[in-house]
Amino acid sequence: MIRVYPAESRHQVDRGWLKSRASFSFGDYFDSNNTAFSVMRVMNDDIVQGGEGFGPHPHSDMEIVSVVLEGAIKHQDSLGHTVITRAGGVQRMSAGRGVIHAEYNASETEPMRILQLWFMTDERGREPSFETCQYPEEKLSHGLLPVVTPVGGAGQTAIHQDLTLYLSRMRAASELHHKQAEGRSAYLFVIEGELHANGETLREGDAARITRTPELALASITDSFFMLIDLP
Amino acid sequence: MTNQAATEQGTEKLLIKHGVGGRTFVDSSQDPEIQYRVEPDGEGWLFTIGIAPSSAVVQILEWRQELNVFLFRDYPNRPTVKCWYYVLNGPVEYHRDREELVIRADSRIEYVPDEF
Repeated sequence: MIRVYPAESRHQVDRGWLKSRASFSFGDYFDSNNTAFSVMRVMNDDIVQGGEGFGPHPHSDMEIVSVVLEGAIKHQDSLGHTVITRAGGVQRMSAGRGVIHAEYNASETEPMRILQLWFMTDERGREPSFETCQYPEEKLSHGLLPVVTPVGGAGQTAIHQDLTLYLSRMRAASELHHKQAEGRSAYLFVIEGELHANGETLREGDAARITRTPELALASITDSFFMLIDLP
Repeated sequence: MTNQAATEQGTEKLLIKHGVGGRTFVDSSQDPEIQYRVEPDGEGWLFTIGIAPSSAVVQILEWRQELNVFLFRDYPNRPTVKCWYYVLNGPVEYHRDREELVIRADSRIEYVPDEF
């Protein structure tokens, strides 16, 4: 089953310095029927103006992934990390038993756009940790590029959950296939462009929550950039 | 039990929030009826909170594994100190007979946002 969530169905927040679109309950937006999909709990599409960001705050027992789409994010935490991750990079924080962190636009002038995703951990009470990577952007057009995986590796960050987050770019009128193992789910988000997922049309900002679909055929209508997450 | 404790230099308040998204369930500074105390409990801390049955209590129990428990200490002449408490397995229990919410926290991190 493929359930499409149009871009405009996301909860929108505009604080001037922050324009955020939440796909799941977050902040002042709470819908008890939209708190999770599989182990996914948060999917915020955030644009943060230069010199702005989120001050120090705690997290625990969540796997928090930030995919940097534009600009750069500066991360600081109570573990001692101060790290800048630029577009083409992904950072992962395992909050575990607790971490205080702050995240800011690393630029004073240019906006930053990130997709921030929170996943439930596979085990509560872990030691907190942080990792960042730059993935090989030229490989985005070679198929599904895994950038977050359970084991990590070159150009990937490791996550304490049985999931794989892929990024991919497709030329117009091209197609690729993803096999979904029995009992698995998938989350598809179109960052740029327009594509068909088993015939369902998704445009920029649209998402699909996919279950009981053994094979997913993705056909690009225009040049497109998208994220696909294989979930338990 | 106290609501907004007057410390030597300032005031203290208790906040209980949802760790996913940040909804506030309890803010002792906004509800004078809420009384609380915090005591060491082995290697952790025990919060005993006097609070009438409410949707906030229901929500706290529903999201008991995803709570952010804080004490904020505000001072007149220096930055606010925040102390965040980690609740692993609790317990997080509500005793309806005495209208008390009991939360056991396993560890804590104190931080000063202005100096982070």
